[in-house]
Amino acid sequence: MQYNWFDRNLKWIYTMPAVIFVLVMMVFPILYTVRISFFEWSMSAITPPKWVGLDNYMTLLKDTRFWGAVRSTMFFTVAALAVEVVLGVAIALLLTRDFRGKNVMKTIFLLPMVSTPVAMGLVWQLIYEPTIGAANMLLKAVGLKPQLWLASPDQAISSLIIVDVWQWTPMIALIVMAGLATIPTDPYEAADVDGAGRWRKFISITLPLLKPTIMVAAMLRLIDVLKTFDIIYATTQGGPNLATETLNIYGYVLGFQYFKLGMASSLLVLFFALVMGLTIVMIWMRKRMEGRYE
Amino acid sequence: MKMFRKRWLGQGLSIVLAATMLAACSNGGGQTSNTAAGKENTQTDKVNNAAPAAKPFEGKSITLVTANHPWGDAIKPFIPEFEAETGMKVKVESYFEDQLTQKLTVQFTTGSNTPDVFMYRPLQEGKLFFKNGWVHPLDEYVNKDPEYDFADLSKSAVGSATVDGKVAGIPIITEQEILYYRKDLLEAAGIAVPKTIDELVAAVKQLHDPAKEMYGFVARGQRSPLVTQVSSFLFSEGGDFTNGDKAAINTPEAIKAFTTYGTLLKDYGPPGVLNMSWPQAIGIFAQGKVAFYTDANSIYKNATDPSKSQIADKIGFAPFPAGSAGSKPYNITSWGLAMNANAVNKEAAWAFIEWATGKEMVLKTQQAGNPGARSSVWDNPEGTTGFPAELVDVIKESVKGGVDHDRPTVISVGEARDAVGEIVQQIMTGEKNIQPVADKANEALQVIIDNEKTK
Amino acid sequence: MNKHKKAANLIFGGLTIMVLLLFAFPFFWMLLASFKTQGQIMSTDQLFIFKPTMDNYTDVFKEYDFLKYIFNSFVVALGSTLFALLLGLPAAYAIARHNLQKLGLVILVARIIPGITFLIPWFILFSKLELIDTFPSLILSHMLVGLPFIIWIMISFFEALPTEIEESGLIDGCTRHQVFMRIILPISGPGIITSSLLSFIFSWNNFMFSIILAGDQTKPLPVAVFNFMSYSEINWGGLMAAACIITLPVLIIALLAQRYVVSGLAAGAVKG
Repeated sequence: MQYNWFDRNLKWIYTMPAVIFVLVMMVFPILYTVRISFFEWSMSAITPPKWVGLDNYMTLLKDTRFWGAVRSTMFFTVAALAVEVVLGVAIALLLTRDFRGKNVMKTIFLLPMVSTPVAMGLVWQLIYEPTIGAANMLLKAVGLKPQLWLASPDQAISSLIIVDVWQWTPMIALIVMAGLATIPTDPYEAADVDGAGRWRKFISITLPLLKPTIMVAAMLRLIDVLKTFDIIYATTQGGPNLATETLNIYGYVLGFQYFKLGMASSLLVLFFALVMGLTIVMIWMRKRMEGRYE
Repeated sequence: MKMFRKRWLGQGLSIVLAATMLAACSNGGGQTSNTAAGKENTQTDKVNNAAPAAKPFEGKSITLVTANHPWGDAIKPFIPEFEAETGMKVKVESYFEDQLTQKLTVQFTTGSNTPDVFMYRPLQEGKLFFKNGWVHPLDEYVNKDPEYDFADLSKSAVGSATVDGKVAGIPIITEQEILYYRKDLLEAAGIAVPKTIDELVAAVKQLHDPAKEMYGFVARGQRSPLVTQVSSFLFSEGGDFTNGDKAAINTPEAIKAFTTYGTLLKDYGPPGVLNMSWPQAIGIFAQGKVAFYTDANSIYKNATDPSKSQIADKIGFAPFPAGSAGSKPYNITSWGLAMNANAVNKEAAWAFIEWATGKEMVLKTQQAGNPGARSSVWDNPEGTTGFPAELVDVIKESVKGGVDHDRPTVISVGEARDAVGEIVQQIMTGEKNIQPVADKANEALQVIIDNEKTK
Repeated sequence: MNKHKKAANLIFGGLTIMVLLLFAFPFFWMLLASFKTQGQIMSTDQLFIFKPTMDNYTDVFKEYDFLKYIFNSFVVALGSTLFALLLGLPAAYAIARHNLQKLGLVILVARIIPGITFLIPWFILFSKLELIDTFPSLILSHMLVGLPFIIWIMISFFEALPTEIEESGLIDGCTRHQVFMRIILPISGPGIITSSLLSFIFSWNNFMFSIILAGDQTKPLPVAVFNFMSYSEINWGGLMAAACIITLPVLIIALLAQRYVVSGLAAGAVKG
C-alpha cells in the first residue's frame, strides 16, 4: 500500500525538492527586487523607502546612460555571439578529422572556459597593458602600431569581446564537434555521387543538419553573454568614458556606488525582462526550425 | 597603553600587568617573556576573581573590517597585544576597496550588527553612511578620557569626518596632493622644480619625448578616480566643485583647471592614460617612463621602494604648483575608523578605536609610512622617521594652504564624481568645444544638490 | 600521398597549431609572469629570459594564507555539487520519464536572472538565519548555479536510456523507486560524472555570490585573489601566481576528465 502510494506519486516526490529549492531561493529575491523597484531608497536605516510608483522606470527610460548601457549590452552580445558561432563552427570543422594529439588539443581548448573568469580578467588586463602588455609587443613584433586596447573608449568593448571570444568559442566548437559526430554519412555519399564540392556539401548538408545544435549552443551562450559581469568588473568596470558599461554593470553601479537601490532594482527588472524576452525568442526560433527539419 | 592602566587596572594587578606591558612594548622583545607574563596573568586572575576586572572586555569579541591598505597591515601585528590587555577578541577581515564598500553596504542595509568597527572613506561614503543611520556618532566618547587628547587631531582632518556637526569617524590617514618629479631628468635638462602650474606645463613639454618612450606627465585618467586629483588644479585656479548650493564646474576657473589637467594627459601622457587609476599611473612613473606625476603623498612608497621602482633614488617631491589663486592642494582624511550603529558592544568597539587612534598607535602606524592626523605625532621627530626628509617638508608645506575636500561634498559622491570626470575625459578624448559639456555636467551636479536639499 | 594532399595537410596543421597557440597564450603569459618580480613584469626587456623567482608562490601561501582559501573553495564546490546531485538526479529522472519539460523550464529561469538581483535579498535571508560567513549559505547559493546544469544534462542522459531497462526491473517486482536507485543510478555513472564536474567548476569559479555571503572564515579563492590589489599597489606577480593556483585544479580536472566535460557540454546542447 505504502509503496504503491510512493510509486504513484513518484514523479512529484522526485521533482518537488528541486523545484521547491529553486523557488525558495529565487522567489524571495524576485519579489523583493520588484517591490523595491517602485520605491526610492538609499538603503537608509532612518528614512524608510518612499513609494514613487513608476518613477524609477520613467527616469531610467529617459536616462541616456541607461540607453547607452542597453546599446553596449546589445553590441557586446551580438558581436561576441556572432564571432563565437562563426569561429566555433570553423574550428569544429577544422578539427573533425582525426589526427595525433586531438585529445590534447581538445583539453587545451577546454581551459579558457573552465578557468576562473575573475582571474582571467586580471590576466587579460596585464596582456592589454599598453606599455608592458603582451598584446602590444605582439603588434610591434609584426610591425603594426601599438593600440590602447582597454584604455581607449573606441577599442575597449572590442577588446572585451576578444576576451569573451577567447573564453567561449571553444564551448561552441566542442558542442558543434559533438553535433558533427551525430550527422549520418549517407547524405555525403549521395553528394559524392553527384560530384558536389566541399563547399557545396557544407552549405547544403552540414550546415542545415547542424543548425539545431548551433541554435542551442547559441541560446546557452546568449543568456550568459548578456549577463557578462566578472570579466568587465575585473578589467574596466564600465570605463573608459562608460564605453563598456553594460546593463549588469550599470545596475551594480546604481546599487553599490550610487546607493540607489530602487533605481537599481527597476533596472534589474527591465534587464531580466530583456534576457527573458530574448531567450523566449530563441526558443521559439528553435522550435520553428525543428519543425522544419524533422 | 597608559590609559588602560589608569582606567581599568585593579590595584593588586598593576605590577603584573606592568610587566606584561613592558614585555609587549619592547618590540620583538622575545616570545618567552610574553608568554611568561601571560601565564602569571591567568594565575592572578584566578586568585583575584573578586577584584575589579583587569581585562575589562574578557570574553567579548568585535569584528574589524579594513581595506587592503598599509594601515591595516601596520596595525595587525599589534592587535594581539591589545587583546592581551583588554581580554577582548578582535576578528579582522580585509577587502579590496570596491568590495569593502559593497560588503559594508549590504551588511548595513540589512541592519547587520557586524562589523563593529570598520575603515571607511569619510569624503566618499561618510555622509551617506551617516545619513543612512549606519554609523554611531562618536561625540559621547571622544572627550571622555583626557589622555586620548581629541584636540590633538588636526582640525581639517576631523572636519572631513564630521557630518551634520557630529563626529562620524576618527581620521586615520591624511593625504595631500603633491608633485612627484624625476630629479635626474630635471637636472640634466637644467630645469628648476616647477613652482607654478605654468612652469609645470613648460617643463612637461620640454621633457616629453615619446619617441624614446619618455612622457612628460602622468596622473589618474579614469573617470571617477581622476576627480580627486584634478581638484587641486581646480582649487589653485580659484575654483571649487560647488559654490554654496550652486554647482560650479562650468565656471571659467573650472574649465581652465580641467583643460590644463586633461590636456597635459592627452598631449604629454603615456598611452592608455584614460584607463589609469593610481596603481597604473604610479606604476609607469616607477618604471622611469614619465617625468612628472601628481597624486596623493600617501602612495609614495611605490615610487621609492627599490623592489618595485627602477628610479627609487631619483625621485623628488615638491608642493603642488601654484595656479592663479596660489598653491591649494587638497588636505583631507582619506580613511577613517567608524563604529557600526548596530554594534552590540559599543564600549568595546570604542575601546578599540581609542587604542588604534591613540597617540601611541598613531606614532607606530605613522612610522610604518601611514600619514596620520595627530599634530603631536607630526611634531615629534620620531613621528616622521617613516618618510623621506624631503617629503616631510613638502607635507608640512602642503598642509598650510590645504583645502579640506577633494571631491564634491554631496551625499551622492559617486554620481557627482562621474559628472565631473566626464568633463575631463571629454577633454582627454579630444573634444574641443568643452563649454557645452561642462554646462551639461554642471546641470547634472545641480540636480544632485537640489535633490539632496529636499531630503 | 599526392602533392595536393600534402599541402592541405600542411595548411591544416599550421592552422591547428595557430589556433592552439592563440588559445593557450594567456595561460602561458600568466605562468611566465607568476615567476617574475614586480620589476621584471614592469620592464619590457625581460620578456622570456629572466631569473625566475619563487617569491610570488611563497607569498601566496605564507602571507596570504592561500591554503585556507583553497580548502574553503573545495568545501563549497564539493558540498554544492553533492547536494545539487541529491536534488537534481531524481528531478531530472522524473522530468525525463514523465514529460515534465515545463518544470525543466522553471529551473532554467534560475540561469536567466542577473546574479546581482540576488545579492541583497539573499543577504537579508541568510542573516535572518544567521548563516552569513558559514558554509551552508555559500553551498546553498552555489547550488543554484550547479543545479540547472545537473538537471539539464541528466534529462538528456536519462532520455537516452532505453525504457526496457526499467520495464524489466518492474517485472522483477521492483518498485519504481527501487528501479531508479538500484538499476538506473548505477548505469548513469558517465552522466553523473559529467554533470558533477561542470557543477564543481562553476562553483569553483563563482565570484559574485561569494563576495557577499562569505566572510573571513569561508572566503573562497576568487574573492581572495583580490587581496593582491591593495590601496597602494597591484602585486602583479602575486596576482598571477594566485591565478595559476586557482586555475590548477580545474586544469587538472580538464586534463583527466576531458572526455566527460566535453560530452556534458555537448549533451546539453545536442539533445536539449
